[in-house]
Amino acid sequence: MLDKENCGEKTDEELVALTLKNQDFFSCIVERYEAKLTRYIRRISAATQEDAEDLLQEIFVKVYRNLYGFDPSLKFSSWIYRIAHNQVISQWRKTKSRPQVLKFEADEDFLKFIAADEDLAGNIERKFTGEEVRDVISRLDGKYKEVLVLKFLEEKDYKEISDILRKPLGTVATLINRAKKQFAKVVKEKEIKF
Amino acid sequence: MENKFSQKVLEKIKEEKIEPKPRWQFLLKDYFIWLTFGISLLVGGLAFCVMLSIILDNDWDIYRYLEISPLEHFLISLPYIWILLLLLFLAVAYYNYRYTKKGYCCNAFTILALSVFGSIILGTFFHALGLGGKIDRTLSRNFSFYQKIHCCCHRKDIWTQPEKGLLGGKIIGIKNVSNFDLEDFSGFIWQVEKNEQTLLRGPILVEIGEEVKLIGKKKEEKVFRAFEIRPWWNQEEE
Repeated sequence: MLDKENCGEKTDEELVALTLKNQDFFSCIVERYEAKLTRYIRRISAATQEDAEDLLQEIFVKVYRNLYGFDPSLKFSSWIYRIAHNQVISQWRKTKSRPQVLKFEADEDFLKFIAADEDLAGNIERKFTGEEVRDVISRLDGKYKEVLVLKFLEEKDYKEISDILRKPLGTVATLINRAKKQFAKVVKEKEIKF
Repeated sequence: MENKFSQKVLEKIKEEKIEPKPRWQFLLKDYFIWLTFGISLLVGGLAFCVMLSIILDNDWDIYRYLEISPLEHFLISLPYIWILLLLLFLAVAYYNYRYTKKGYCCNAFTILALSVFGSIILGTFFHALGLGGKIDRTLSRNFSFYQKIHCCCHRKDIWTQPEKGLLGGKIIGIKNVSNFDLEDFSGFIWQVEKNEQTLLRGPILVEIGEEVKLIGKKKEEKVFRAFEIRPWWNQEEE
């Protein structure tokens, strides 16, 4: 019988090992990542809540199928985010419609992290409205949106972003740097004074 | 309260009898990628060693007989098919390395540099073993098509220009110390004259069956005066 009370005390890696012995433990992994991945999917795609849920189900099934392929040298969260990222990309390819606008459920969070960034802090003098954030973000290249979301919203470090996007650390650093520059440039072009 | 979503996922897994893919499938995929990477490096190394052998075997000094510039001679002498093959397998090696578990951690330049370096090291090692010459000779003897494609100029055509002082072929008869018969690559029989001033360059034996290159002068119809005799293959055959 699954003792779900103990789930919270287990590490991701322990839960993976337990799931491989008893599939009921997989619900612990699902519960741990459900909200995080739903937010992530909605941040990097234009998915509705219902679409995001369908996608999330596919992602968890894929995670379950590939549990033996989990590389313990990675953080489990990086691995599961990578699968989610790939699944979203795959969905984009199927529908052939890459979203033009990123949905932000937590614009305040985004602003908080952007404001904490030294490169952009100087530009921020007032709070964004949700509409302004969406407008600025929608003007960024897709590759920049992805790294901004992972860095500022998902609070991933460079190594984790490198593992999720399967890009070298140097490339991640460059992307983040360029994303910040492009963000500031778009803000200036729109003459948004923070 | 039971989480509805996690229950839904678990039910789907149970209903559809979804099982985790076995570990051996992941290991097999990893081994396959590494194996393909290794084979690509190996073939790249072989391409490099044949390329090296052809370049070292080439007669770089004959451009003046061909009445072309050294640069033109250089460009028509490069073994393009092997260069292309080397580049192709470098690309395959690069592609495979990218798909290894940690392949994405290195940038493209590092992976390419490693692949190039690996192919050069392997190729130089194979060349030291004499593999390059052997592969080139085997292909040349068994596939006439190979001679036509292994570089821009057809090597046998280059050495079938007696008017320009270049003649190649097989010794088919020795008359005396100063005369031998040679069948050129077009099937014509030439009487070749040589004397003590004739330079024998490289590991050459003037004997029946030997393939040679001659630099000299066409004296009259099917008579050739040799100033220099070189082995057809500059590198010694084992």
